[in-house]
Formats: sequence, structure tokens, C-alpha cells
Amino acid sequence: MWDQIKQELAQSTARFLTRLANLLPGILALILALLGSIVVAWILAAIVRRLLTSMNFDERLGRWGFPSIADWSPLRSPTRLVSRSIAILVIASGFLIGIAAFDSQWPSLFARSVFAYIPNMIGAALVLLFGNIVARFLSRSVLIGAVNLNLHYARFLSIGVKWLVLVLTVAMALDHLRIARSIVELAFGILFGGIVFALALAVGLGSKDLVTKSLERDAQKPGDEHVEEPFRHI
Amino acid sequence: MVEAEPIPQHVQEKIERVHTADLVVGVLADLDPSALAALCDALRALPRTPRIAVLRDDHSPDPSPSNSPAANNSSPFLVPWPLLSPDAPDTPMLNMSSAYQSVFAASEKLGARACCVIASNLDAPSPAWVRQLAQPLLAENVDLALPFYARHKFEGLVNSSIIAPLTRCLYGRQIHNPMGPDLGVSQRLYQKMLGADRSARNGGNRLHSIASLAPAALCDNLLVCEVYLGARIYAPTDWVNISSLIAEVLSPVFLDMERNAACWQRMRASLTVPALGDPVLISEDKGTVDIRRMVESFHLGNRDLGEIWGLVLPPSTLVELRKLARLPLEQFHMPDELWIRIVFDFALAHRLRTINRDHLLQSMTPLYMAWVASYAHDLEGAGAAAVDQRLERLSVAYETGKPYLVSRWRWPDRFNP
Repeated sequence: MWDQIKQELAQSTARFLTRLANLLPGILALILALLGSIVVAWILAAIVRRLLTSMNFDERLGRWGFPSIADWSPLRSPTRLVSRSIAILVIASGFLIGIAAFDSQWPSLFARSVFAYIPNMIGAALVLLFGNIVARFLSRSVLIGAVNLNLHYARFLSIGVKWLVLVLTVAMALDHLRIARSIVELAFGILFGGIVFALALAVGLGSKDLVTKSLERDAQKPGDEHVEEPFRHI
Repeated sequence: MVEAEPIPQHVQEKIERVHTADLVVGVLADLDPSALAALCDALRALPRTPRIAVLRDDHSPDPSPSNSPAANNSSPFLVPWPLLSPDAPDTPMLNMSSAYQSVFAASEKLGARACCVIASNLDAPSPAWVRQLAQPLLAENVDLALPFYARHKFEGLVNSSIIAPLTRCLYGRQIHNPMGPDLGVSQRLYQKMLGADRSARNGGNRLHSIASLAPAALCDNLLVCEVYLGARIYAPTDWVNISSLIAEVLSPVFLDMERNAACWQRMRASLTVPALGDPVLISEDKGTVDIRRMVESFHLGNRDLGEIWGLVLPPSTLVELRKLARLPLEQFHMPDELWIRIVFDFALAHRLRTINRDHLLQSMTPLYMAWVASYAHDLEGAGAAAVDQRLERLSVAYETGKPYLVSRWRWPDRFNP
């Protein structure tokens, strides 16, 4: 019996050592892939940083309407944010490639599924970026237009439009990422409808007095002549 | 973008029936038949009886036979032509510009020595003024005859506050209405405008047919004169679309600044240009004006557009604007120096595309309103002489401030407190 136990122990130790030996090339490949990706990431980040610095990316970003990006960038520099993001992406890709080098099923399946998900992530990021640009453009258009119409709630309108577009964008991005689709649809419907309803109520209630005054004026002074201003601009 | 042909196919044959002309007159103003007849009579009185073609803005598809050139064998030949497109009411400046381009194209087709455009109705119309506009082009080799309207103090304010003094400061000539719209153009100048238009179709720089005329003539040292005319009738202010209109007017002016930077940076002091005819005197209304609406517009802009103005204007200007916003209505006054710096900084931001150009120009409206309110406050009850002095002061301020513009234009990234 003792011999049998010894034999079993020897066999399991041999199996463990064999498995470990089988893993070693994979681990080595993972370390090499990681080291290679770190070097590539460092070179790429340096190139991107120099390129963006030479085109005054930080200042331009502010001019394009994204000054808040600086607030959540390392050292308040969007250039560093972009270069570090690229470096992290490259290192993550290297890690996934290293994992795929293991001669077993689950790591390669995991790597494959992560790689298959990357287009969705890129698509969602593009949707977010485009939505942000559209939101800022529309909000600025509404703000300027409303101020020029002497509307006192110009900023409120502009913020409303901005958030409507942003909420729509985030919902589209989450849908693209296939994250809790049914919840996102429901939440988006409720949130979007709520914002529109709130805006309608706010504008309706806000303009109630205006309409009342206008109607009263028309009713009280039917024959009142239009007073023409002397100013001619163009 | 596909550009419309200057001479549409369906009017080519109408113009060909005239064969040649010495002078082409494009009538964009809404003239009744008697006014049109008086205009033709005035043109007939031109010395040496030139051959004249009058392009009359007409949208009727089939003009009556009496009006057709074939039936009318004596000069001036009336050519009905849809110069202004009724389908483009949202872009009046572009519409006008293409109408001018059509007149230039027709003039080239007929080999005219000069062309005139009549786009306004005058307060007290006298047919002779068309002749006054055309005569220097034919008799004195003038290249650009611009109008010098008798002005009411609160009319043509975009011109008085920005376009005229800016043109004077940039190009060194004291012209009062650089953008007409009633003007006369020599063959040399209209061919230059058409040439630029053709090169724009091949990817070159497009000139604006109205805004670019005076800068093009002045940068090429062409002969420019002014002709005294009566008071122009301006359209009532469209408060809903005023910011779009201002943007539409200022955009080609700022584009020209960019195009002619090498030319205007060389110019120093300004000179007068010859003025022909007799000044027309008009009585000035001395009543009070209400500036509350404009001041309110400025206050709103100061409250809500600070973020946008902060991208365009330097901190010192923003501080001045905040001080201005705190002034009570009866003391409201925007200094000319502040106003011209604002104009210069917006022109620079337009060049640098700091923000979307439409947004930029439209966000200038509350600042413009502040200047108009301040101007109206200054001139309430003032006579014609005081108005002239006030506008002269503004023009001089523009000229004095030109080094600031040149410096900012050349070194936009330099620290500007």
C-alpha cells in the first residue's frame, strides 16, 4: 500500500512538473511579449508626445471646445493623456498576445474574445467622441442664437441641448458595447423622455407670463401703432 | 460646391441680341416703370451718347415684347434678367454677390468699358445720380466709383462702426461706403473680379463681388472716387436674424483682411479720395432713442457668452467689458479704443479659426449692440456735424490702433495681457 501511495505521489509530481514545464515556454513568451510591447509602447508614446507637442495639441484642444479634458489628464496635459493611453493599449495588446501563446484552450479563447471585442470598443469610443463634438457644437449654436434673441434662459437651453445629445451618445455607445442592452434602452427612454418633458415644462411655464402679457397687450391696445426704431444696421 | 454660372443659359440669347455696349447698368433695386424710364432718360444724357444695356431684375419668365431688346432698338437696351434669386432669402449677401457677378459677366460679354449696379432706393430719388455714378467711369478713367450717401446718424451702423473705418485703417483711403451697394466699376476691375472667380472654380481664392471690390481696387492702386448721393432707404432691422446678417456681412470683410494681409500691413496713414458732385444735406431727427434693448443684449452676452469671448479676447478686454456691464444705463459708454480692439481680435480669431467662424461672428452681436447703444447715447439729439465728428473720431481710433492689429496678426501666440 505504501508503495502504491509512493507511486501515485511520484506520478502526480511528475504530472505537475510536466505541466509546469509545458507552461514555462508560454510564460517565457508572455514575458517576452510584455517586454517587447513595453519597448514599442515607450517608443510610440514618445513619438506621439513629440508630434502632439509640436502641433500645440493642449492649446488646440481648448480652442476646439474640450478644455475640461485637461482637468482629468496627468499633469493637466491632454498630450500626456493621449500618449499614455496609447502606451497602455500597446502593453495590453502585448499581454493578450502573450496569453494567446499559452498552449491551452482557455487563455487563447479569452484573448480571442477580447480581440473580437476591440472593434466594439473603438466604435463606442468614436461614437462618444463624435457625440461630444456634436453636443458642444449644438450647445454653442443654441447659446449664441438664444443670447442674440435676448432670451434670458439661453444658458439653460444650451445645457439642455448638450445633455440631450450626450445622453443619446452614451446610450448609443453602451449599446455598441453590448452592455446591459435592455436596461440601457429602458433607462435611456426614461431619461431622454424625462429631459424633454422637463424642458417642455420649464419653457412652457417660463413663457406662460410672456404669452399672457403679449395677449393682454394685444387685447387692450387694438389700435396701438407700431413704434419703429430709428436704428438701421445693414 | 458647384458654383452657378454667372450668365444662365436662358438669358444668354437675350444679351447676345444687344451685341455690344459701352456701359452696362444692373438694376437690382425695386424700381417702378416710371423710375426705370427716368433712369434711362438720365443715362441718355451721358456725354458722347454711349451704347448702354440696362439689366433689369425681372423674374417674369416671358417678358413683354415691348421690353425685349429686339423691340427696343435705341440705347439704353432693356434686358430683363433674374439677377436676384427669390429662392435664397436666407443669404441676402450671397444672393447680392452673385447678382453683381452676373452684371460683371454680362459686361464682359458685351465688352463694356464700365458697369454700374443700382441696388438701393433713395430717400429723395433724382435720376441724375445714376449718371453721376457712371460718368467718372467713362470720362475720367476712374476704376471704382463708390457712393457717398447723405447719412442719417442711426442708419448703416455696421458700415459706420466696422466696415468703413476698418477699410480706411487697413487700406489707407477714406471711403465712406466701401461695400456700396450702388457703385460703378471699370472694365479693368470687373475683369479682375471675374478672373478671380474663374480661378476660384479651379481651387483658387474666391473674391466676394461686393466686399472685395474696394480692397482689390485699393491694393492694386486703381483710381477710386466717391459720388455724393442722397440718403439711402435701409430695410427695417430684423431683430430675429440680425446676428446672421452681421456674420454674413463681416465674414467676407475678414476673409479679405486675410487675403490682403501683405497689402494692408504696408499701409500707414489714410488719404482722402476725390468726391464728385454736391453733398446732399438732410434734416436730422433730434428725438430721443431707446437703447435699453441693446444694452440688455450686451448684458446677456456678458453673462452667457463669457466662455466664448474668453477664447477670442485678451483678459484686459474682458475686464473692461465687465466694468462696462456694471455701468448704469444713463452712463453706458463703450470707449472707441475698446471697440476697435474687439473688432481686431475678432478678425484675428476669424483668421486663426479659434472657434467655428459662424459662431465667432454671431457671438460678436452683443458687443456690436453695446457699441451702437454707446454711440446712440453719445449722439442723442446731436446734429449732422456732431455725427461726422464722432465717426471721424472712431476712424482715427481705428488708425491709431492699427499697430496693435499688425502686432497681433504677426505674432498671435505672443502673450497679450
